[in-house]
Amino acid sequence: MRVLIQLRPSPDLVAAVTDPGRSATTADVADGLPGVMLDPSFTPVAVPRPVPPAGGDPLSLNQPLDFSMAAEEASVLVRGEISDDELTTRLALLPTLRPDVVGVFADPVIEPNLTCGGDAPVGDWRDVERLLGTSALHAEGLDGSGVALAVLDTGINAAHVARHLGRGVNLDAERSWNPSGVQGRPGEFEVDHGTMCAFDTLIAAPQASLIDIPVLLSSRMGGSALDGLLSDAVAAFAHLRTLLEAQPAESRSLVISNSWGSFSPRWDFPPGHPGNYSDNAAHPFNLVVASLDSAGADVLFAAGNCGRECKDGRCAYPDRPIGGANSHPRVLSIGGVDTEGERVGYSSQGPGRLATRKPDLCAYTHFSGSKAFGDGEPDSGTSAACPVAAGLVAAIRTQWPAARLSPGQLRSLLRRTADDRSDVGYDFDYGYGVVDPAGVLAALRRRAKRVA
Amino acid sequence: MVLVTVRLPPGATLADAMERLGLAEEEVDTGYGLVLIDPDQGLYGLRVTEEAGHRTGPPFSDPRIEPFGPEPR
Repeated sequence: MRVLIQLRPSPDLVAAVTDPGRSATTADVADGLPGVMLDPSFTPVAVPRPVPPAGGDPLSLNQPLDFSMAAEEASVLVRGEISDDELTTRLALLPTLRPDVVGVFADPVIEPNLTCGGDAPVGDWRDVERLLGTSALHAEGLDGSGVALAVLDTGINAAHVARHLGRGVNLDAERSWNPSGVQGRPGEFEVDHGTMCAFDTLIAAPQASLIDIPVLLSSRMGGSALDGLLSDAVAAFAHLRTLLEAQPAESRSLVISNSWGSFSPRWDFPPGHPGNYSDNAAHPFNLVVASLDSAGADVLFAAGNCGRECKDGRCAYPDRPIGGANSHPRVLSIGGVDTEGERVGYSSQGPGRLATRKPDLCAYTHFSGSKAFGDGEPDSGTSAACPVAAGLVAAIRTQWPAARLSPGQLRSLLRRTADDRSDVGYDFDYGYGVVDPAGVLAALRRRAKRVA
Repeated sequence: MVLVTVRLPPGATLADAMERLGLAEEEVDTGYGLVLIDPDQGLYGLRVTEEAGHRTGPPFSDPRIEPFGPEPR
């Protein structure tokens, strides 16, 4: 987290900061603050001391005040960054270790122009193809051939996907599956959210075999037209495990893309209840996710659209919106950036509820792609970012089945090679950074050489 | 309705689960059936009424899930 640190150094130093004829640097004022990466480019700024009138309340700012820049009274601000996962400890310890630290304050990014829901597309899917370096991936034979890629969503319209991609689509009808009571044939569902997701998976992995699982078309009691129930996802994952286990162990691969989650705690038991979902690794769905990972599947979840800057109106968690399987330690939780590499304002921020370091990564969203919602409408939400990343994973799996690179190893590799968007590693906006296929390719080449 | 789990031998059926948990047919979502959650632990799941869930529990929530796409207009 970016912070402003207020210090009260010696009067000599304060005088040097306030005197325009002299130059005091951040290092002069604050060198050696433990756990803080100071920004040397920031010129220290003197802050006057508010002085109440005689007999006034020394603690109140709600009264007429004078401001003193006297060297004995003023303080100095410097800028720096503290790692997100050490923030609480550092904030507590800094003033005790360094008595000259008066306070540590947030230094939020002033950036009103983040892409939000309802904004026009930023670039198109060809830009995403370029950013993912698909030509380099495909030149190395990483195009998803023979890789099963399950899209758990509202169902796929394969004809629409093929028309807008301008190429054929491999739909694996035999291994597709409907929840009990859901009508419709694989690849022939109405054009909707699931069609968008399928399109986006194929940007990086055009030869992957799509498995259509319309889990969001629940007809169970308690569901409605375009949502589902978690129990259907439990059954869907159980089906996927049977598919995975039917594959030869040496070539096993299955990528599962999940662009859904729960917007509201209203449908859940409260955290702490033994039957709770959002915060409970022992919930049956969280168990079945772990069992798929153990069996060799790559599971990806969208981080959600509850980013602080412009959250979806349905977001009802007061904080920590990445919960349940979307925050599972054995999945990749995917946030969204636009094609200019900036985080979209609706992409949910961490920490996660099951694992703290969520999201893991960001991938591209909010681009003109499938046109599933009409011409001029972007493929948007972390819903689009997740299948874009799933496509990259499927492309990698073309030559790197789970026996050669376990799901856990692949997650580590993607995190390690991500294009870091902060100065000090992991952060709760971008996770480890934006997926970087060129970095992944280089790491895979090194790994192949090592193993050979 | 809620989810409950039960440990059963491999190849178990919904009838086996109902018998083990003492459930009547009207308390169970038979369309959903019996789902294998973790084969290593022999753990299965089924959907039951809230009352039955509390009796055989712990009951696990079965929340609504929604797509993370554009906000419905």
